[in-house]
Amino acid sequence: MLITVSRETGSLGKEITDLLALKLDLPVITRDLVMNQWFPEIADKHELHMLSESPRYFLNESSQGITYAAYLENLLKEYVVQHSAIIFGLGAQIIFARQPGALHVKIMASPQVRSKRIMKNLNMGERDAERFLELTDRKHRRYIATIYERDWADPTLYHLILNTDHISAEDGAELLAFMARDLQIGSKMQAAAENDREARPVVFKHPSEEEFAKILDMHDIKWEYEPRTFPIEWDTEGNVIQAFAPDFYLPHFNTYIELTTMEQKYVSHKKKKVKMLQKLYPDININIVFKHEFYQLAERFGLRKGEDD
Amino acid sequence: MNTPGPGRIVYTEEQIQTRLREVAGEINRDYAGKKLVIVSVLKGSIYFLADLTRQLTMPLSIDFLSIAASPSSANHGSGIHFTRNLDINLKDRHVLLVEDVIGTGLTLGYVIQHLADAGPASFKICTLLDNPAGRILTIKIDYRCFTMPDMFLVGYGLDYKEEYRNLPYIAEYHRH
Repeated sequence: MLITVSRETGSLGKEITDLLALKLDLPVITRDLVMNQWFPEIADKHELHMLSESPRYFLNESSQGITYAAYLENLLKEYVVQHSAIIFGLGAQIIFARQPGALHVKIMASPQVRSKRIMKNLNMGERDAERFLELTDRKHRRYIATIYERDWADPTLYHLILNTDHISAEDGAELLAFMARDLQIGSKMQAAAENDREARPVVFKHPSEEEFAKILDMHDIKWEYEPRTFPIEWDTEGNVIQAFAPDFYLPHFNTYIELTTMEQKYVSHKKKKVKMLQKLYPDININIVFKHEFYQLAERFGLRKGEDD
Repeated sequence: MNTPGPGRIVYTEEQIQTRLREVAGEINRDYAGKKLVIVSVLKGSIYFLADLTRQLTMPLSIDFLSIAASPSSANHGSGIHFTRNLDINLKDRHVLLVEDVIGTGLTLGYVIQHLADAGPASFKICTLLDNPAGRILTIKIDYRCFTMPDMFLVGYGLDYKEEYRNLPYIAEYHRH
């Protein structure tokens, strides 16, 4: 399980994260932990000071021959491979944007509510609190913009944005714990369904497709049967009126294969479909295996005899 | 109907050697200052390999793979297998695979996957004849001497039932 939490200061983000960690029994990786335990492995006192002061310094090359940002990213990734965790800040919502099953949360509140909380917690006047928030927001924004060239406020970086104007820390943590557990159950079910799908024998629509799959197996070439359908024609209202599902996909060679053992007069229709697909999806590699090519291969590997003669 | 046997010459000895020197020039440029391991698949590429490597100027090693296809094992897993494996360790080496003919790319795909497992620093492919029209796998061919015409060819390493490999030119072959 991986939860990343990005928070605005004064949004109860820290309180909610600590409560969430207790509920889910997860460690929290924070900026303090990184600065006090991880970076001292490779950075001296001056470098640590610079890292704490300047996001730009994260882009300098460390003694490891990679930038401090890359070093941190590697350590976070290594940690997450072995442990469930909550990562608090550190741009983790971007580093782990594609991590399956991860939950990326942003905790925020309105400027007025945040200001009131800061005034109370830090015993500040209103103007000082507003200024304090302005500075901390700028710091957060600059860290993400400098290292990852992304906008910290971009809502698409997060799965859930929690406004705590009218939610207590306890309720916020409970809500996130529920979501995280639900997501974990969901990803387990999805993994089980995928395993089930892989274990299930493929049902081919045509015997020649099964023979072609055997030829690929003989060459140790991994294949998937009709894994993707490409829309190739739409009506004026944008509804798909023609789609094309190539017979095979060979992931190691990023190649789709359309097998055709039909008579020549039908082949031109398939060729047209392939041309449309290539025009609409120029990055897709697709090759047609024609009848005589397929029969040559099938005969060569003893799968059939003389049907093309 | 033609009499079975070699027919007209498609690429003369001179045409082959001229083109081969051009391709060798490209390889010499691309690998300047590097050491190269040339891997070749027996037996069709032997003459091509011998002539090509004598035009190359960088330090190089040569190794061979041999592959067999067994139709009888069609229903029992892989029908393609190596009958000779490499002696040289390819880990972190610059590798150039030299082929005689690349057609569907299926056998080449089998070889590529095997070589990739060895962890070379870089990997490129050079072929005497390329038949992109019959390609099934999408594979980048880095160096090609000739595009293959739509006919059966013998000579300069290419055979018909193990004969005609020693012809110094490439000729059309009439099977019927």
